[in-house]
Amino acid sequence: MELSKMEPIVKRFYEGVAKGEYWGRKCPECGAIEFPPHLMCNSCGNRDTEWVRLTGHGKLLSLVLPGIQNNKPYLKDEGKYGYGAVQMDEGPIYTFVVYGLTKKNRPELNRRIKAGETIGVHPKNVQRDGWVELCFELDDDVKESLKK
Amino acid sequence: MTKGQDARSVSIVGVGCTPFTSFEEHPETQGIGEGEAFGYAAKEAMEDAGLQPRDIDYFFHGAANPFMIGAALTPNMQVQEWIGMRGKGSIHHSEACCTGYTSLELAVMAVASGRYDTVLTGAVDLASTLPVDDAPAHMRKDFPLEVMLPSIGYVYDRAYGRPLDSAFGISFDNWVNKYAQTYDLTDDQIDQTLNALSIQLRKNAVADPLGFSTKTYEDLAHESGMETAEEYLTSAYNPKVTQYLRVSGFEIKCDGAAAAIVMPTEKAKALGLSAIEVLGTGAAAYEGALYNNEYQGTRDGAKAVYELTGVSPDEIDLFMCNDFFLGGDITASEECGFIPRGEAWKYILDGRVAPSGDKPINPNGGRCNFGHAHGASGLADIYEAVKQMRGQAGATQCAKVPETTFLRGFGGGQNVRCQILRTVK
Ligand SMILES: [Zn+2]
Repeated sequence: MELSKMEPIVKRFYEGVAKGEYWGRKCPECGAIEFPPHLMCNSCGNRDTEWVRLTGHGKLLSLVLPGIQNNKPYLKDEGKYGYGAVQMDEGPIYTFVVYGLTKKNRPELNRRIKAGETIGVHPKNVQRDGWVELCFELDDDVKESLKK
Repeated sequence: MTKGQDARSVSIVGVGCTPFTSFEEHPETQGIGEGEAFGYAAKEAMEDAGLQPRDIDYFFHGAANPFMIGAALTPNMQVQEWIGMRGKGSIHHSEACCTGYTSLELAVMAVASGRYDTVLTGAVDLASTLPVDDAPAHMRKDFPLEVMLPSIGYVYDRAYGRPLDSAFGISFDNWVNKYAQTYDLTDDQIDQTLNALSIQLRKNAVADPLGFSTKTYEDLAHESGMETAEEYLTSAYNPKVTQYLRVSGFEIKCDGAAAAIVMPTEKAKALGLSAIEVLGTGAAAYEGALYNNEYQGTRDGAKAVYELTGVSPDEIDLFMCNDFFLGGDITASEECGFIPRGEAWKYILDGRVAPSGDKPINPNGGRCNFGHAHGASGLADIYEAVKQMRGQAGATQCAKVPETTFLRGFGGGQNVRCQILRTVK
């Protein structure tokens, strides 16, 4: 592979996150997006993908809450959180730390997921040592509706 | 030939397994290093098959974390001298907790391809202690939790799954959570099911002379002044440490080695050896931060192995599930067709997964009770399956001697191997 055809993909992803830009890689063959980005397409097995910018908005597909075994102090410092599967508005699904998930709202969130209701989430940056961790948090309208 | 089918039938003719224990804590085993541990498992497998090292053409060596736990970059080279195979070829492989199942897959491929006739496949991990730098192999030191915990994440992708924290975050609970959501089970129902499973698996491990555990949950309850195992399991002695799992739902890290010898089924028959045929391996892998990765891997692996072997799920007599955190026993037993969908939790509560039951799961007790010597555990399950299928499993022999066994290998961020074994008549 010629040098001119190579670039650091992980680095671009994390540098984008720090600036509020969410970069994935789109497959020209099947249209699926790798997010976070990889070199080739895992949806159809195509060799090529190209950069695409995502809005950063998505929806929560499932959630679990941490216990002492899988809790991280630096995450806890930023608020109550859980781990969830997030589907980006553009389609790709991956799992992330999601803020705003609590023991109290877990049953209601599970009910809404099962009922097929949309639970919107958007990015929340967590500053780490020299890089930024992409996490998500519940949208304001979701938080409001959970208060009721 | 269907993709995944072997060019010639391959059978297991010998198995060996050391006790899964803390070698350093028993005077009989204190000082046993990786070479000897691998060697004893290999020796038992050779005795079992009536073979000598000179009869074996090639070997595979598995270990989950040889760099850290064994201070070795080339562990196959470092055990070779221990098993009388100087000069012969070998390969080391490492798939973390899935190692012992890929061990069998590799050995079968080596024989099925026609490249070798008789292959030994073994795995060892002395996972309860650490090697001492600049000292010989009989010297080990403590392996404190603060050294162990950071290394667990090393099975996950360093680009995303690990730094984004979700791989470690979702792994323990996400399939059980999906199960609870699908069948509308409450947290209490899941808890009761997991505790009933722990009680049964612990009994199995205590009855198995090679198992780590020596006390049942009833014993532990009585020692703590409680009436029942359920009371103990829901007490402060056994807190929940993830959303669903209690301490009892996690592996017991220990030392151990296990091995198997495979050869062409026709050769085994010609030699008059007791043979357990490896009908096939369904391989799948989904990175640890992918949504429902254990579910997806098990679904694909099971589908693949049923397709390529033509076996029907109702032919499975025994289900072995690599359960270094509990839950797979419930979900994977259904996904692999061993128990009808939505029913496994009830089967567990009704005692039907005991060795005496109609749907036995992990008669050796599995990873949370038999113990987890990481790379070696899969081969310990294969050892158990073979002993069960020969009717040689002792106190935990299944009521019906299994003719067909399904192994759901799993682990290492996350690899799945679904394997079906069948007794050759
Ligand atoms: Zn594609």
